Formats: sequence, structure tokens, C-alpha cells
Amino acid sequence: MIDITSIIKGIDKLKPIPQVTQKVMAIANDPMSSATDLADIIQYDPALTANILRVCNSAFFGLAKRIDSIHQAVAYLGMDQVVGMAMLNLGSENLKQAQQGYDLREGELWKYSVLSAFMARELADNKKQKGKHLIFTGALLKDIGKTVLSEYVGNYFDDIEKAIADRNITFRDAEKLIIGIDHAAVGAMVAEKWNFSGKMVDIIRNHHLGAGWPEDDIDLATVYVADTLCMIMGIGVGSDGLAYRFHPAVVKKLHLNDIDLQMLMASFCEKFHELEKLLTCVQGISV
Amino acid sequence: MNIIVGVSDMRVSNDPNSVLITYSLGSCIGISIYDPMVKVGGLLHFMLPDSRLDEGKARRNPLMFADTGIPALFKAAYELGAAKQRMRVIVVGGAQILDQKGFFNIGKRNNMAVRKLFWKNKVMIDYEAVGGNVNRTIKLQISDGGTWLKTSGQQFEKI
Repeated sequence: MIDITSIIKGIDKLKPIPQVTQKVMAIANDPMSSATDLADIIQYDPALTANILRVCNSAFFGLAKRIDSIHQAVAYLGMDQVVGMAMLNLGSENLKQAQQGYDLREGELWKYSVLSAFMARELADNKKQKGKHLIFTGALLKDIGKTVLSEYVGNYFDDIEKAIADRNITFRDAEKLIIGIDHAAVGAMVAEKWNFSGKMVDIIRNHHLGAGWPEDDIDLATVYVADTLCMIMGIGVGSDGLAYRFHPAVVKKLHLNDIDLQMLMASFCEKFHELEKLLTCVQGISV
Repeated sequence: MNIIVGVSDMRVSNDPNSVLITYSLGSCIGISIYDPMVKVGGLLHFMLPDSRLDEGKARRNPLMFADTGIPALFKAAYELGAAKQRMRVIVVGGAQILDQKGFFNIGKRNNMAVRKLFWKNKVMIDYEAVGGNVNRTIKLQISDGGTWLKTSGQQFEKI
């Protein structure tokens, strides 16, 4: 087993969450805040504003009207979408690099995270769920722990693989067994360090629905289903493969059937091209 | 030159400088075909078993489905002079998540769709690596039909 403190030190090496992003999160979590409050915060950060406008005007959203100001963006797309765009900025800084331990090339984890986030939001939209920014951000950042654990997974991959085969356990359980901690737990520690809400920390910690996950949490169920569909589609799947558990009960909890899931996969497959363009928009940014 | 075949996509070539590659097949299936006589090869990466799911989507992107994608792959190879009886056929992918026994087992259904279609059309599979919970990447070299398979966390191996 590895010294966990060295892994925790890896968390400290991540870029700190920018102040403006923290403020955006605080506004998103405050039911009393307004769209104007959000725009007022973002407008004083020119780089973030420029990036959000670039994403707004990308082919992915296909808006008929050009958006020229952050207030217009909030009015036109709504708070949830704009909060999501601010989170895309944060995610791109930390998820774009190759994660060799997980056998993920440069940009693969990022592409998967973005696709998973938009898929989770579409599920939430379809079910008219509240708190969509939470679902979007949770889905986007749920694998942030992989960026810290990658090196250790690479070093101990043979042992992890053997544990999965011998014990019929998930990749996450094997990480915990061999390394002493799993990527979801590390991700939750990152989320805590970034002062994310307790709910967000829980989503990141439980996104594979390990033992003791809160069964009534619809937001978590939504993130889980989107993650599972991405895995099935092979998006951003690395050395961990599909070695995670399937929970049909969660799918049924969201009142989804086999056809719904296939249709969601098919719809997102058709959006790949637009998604690539969106990723191009968010690349190369600084927050 | 590497030519990447995306999800719900295919490439067919007789350019000896081309290497066709499709990454990260989860429950999707990759089918590689190669006729050594005319040196024509093709690679398909389909995602779902049955185009009856949505006629519009199947029309816009027939390569998304087994029952419309596989005929399109063979037809494109025939147009470049390939013949079915000479082809080396390789099937990889169709993985599944742990415990995904019954409900929504797309990997298994994708594989069944391939088998059904091949049986009906008398196509023999020369090599297959299907199922399990690993993801796979496959590449096909058009100059000589050399084919390499990579599974989760491993290096490419010639098959």
C-alpha cells in the first residue's frame, strides 16, 4: 500500500480554483441570487467573459442571434447554462492533459467529461429536474481525482488488473485495495479543497455508486447514468475499461427504459461534431 | 498515414500508405475486413444493433447501426474490387459493464446483431475479441492487411 499523504500532496499541486469561479458557484448555490448577480460577477473577469461569449456563439449552441455581452448571455441562455460555461473553463484547465496511468491520450478525459456533462444536463432537462448546474458540474468534474491518481494507477496497473480478475471487483474497488484510495475519493478531496458544496462533494465521491450511496439522490443518479452511457459508447474509456457496476434500479428510478437510453446515445453521437467545435472554443484558455 | 475512424463511421481504402484506426470501442463493435488479393481494406465502428430505433437517424447516419453499417462497409469494399470469399474478417469490441446481464446489454446485442447478419450472408469470422469489460482499439494496415489490437492498459499486439 502507498503512503496516502504523497497522494494528498498531489491534490495541492492542482491549480487553485479562481476566485471568480468560487463566486459563480456561490451564486449558483444561492436560491435568492438572480441572473443579474451572476452577470455582474463575471463581467469583471475579461478572460472568463470572452471565453463564455465564444462558447455561447459556437456551433454547438447554434443560436440564431449573436451574443455580445455577459448580461445578454445570461438572459438568453439562463443561469444554469452560463454557470456551466464557467465550469467548463475550470475543467479545461485541469482535465485536458494526457493521463498516462489511465491510458488516456491528451484531451480524452476532457472530451469525455464535457460529453458526460451535457448528457447529464439533457437527462435533467428531459425530466425537468432542478439544480441542473449541480448535475452539469458534478458530471464535468467527477473524474478530477484521476488527474491526481493517474501516476499511481500506471505504476500498479498489473496489480489492479489482477485484483479485478481474481476478485470480480470494480476498477475503483481495485484502486482502493491496491493503492489505498480510489479516484472518486480523491476527487471528493479536490472538491472539498475547492470549497464546493457538500452536495457536489457527495456527487463526485459517489459517482460510481459504491456501497452506501444515497439511493434517493436523483441528481447523483442522473450523473451516474450519463457516465455509464459514455462508458458504453467508449468515450474517454481508458485502462479502467468498463470495469464498473451497472445498477438497473437507478435507471428505472429515473423512469428510463432501454429505448430512451439508446436514443440518448444516438442523439449524442450525432452531436459529436458540434461538441468537437465546442471543445475547440474552450481550449487554450486561462482562468 | 493514420486515418481515424470515429464512432458511427467507417473508412475503406486501397491506398497502401493508409492505416485505418478506430479507438476505444466500449460496447461498440469494430469490424475490419481485408482482401489480400486486391489489397482493399475497411474498418467500421458502429454503436447500436438495430436501425429500427429511429428511421431518421438511420437515414442520416447508417453507420451508427449494425444492420445498416455492416452492409455499407462490405458494399464500399466491393466497389474497390474486394470479394467476400477472399476477405479476412475481424470483429472486436462489444464489451459490457460488470453485472450488465440482462437490461440494456448493448455490447452483447451488438455482437448478436453481427453474428445474425454474418450467418445470413455466409460471412466467416477469422478472428474475434468480443465481450469482457475492457475497451479495445484496432488498426488495419492497407499495404498488407496487418492488423493490431490494443486492449485496456496494454500495448498493441498483432493479430
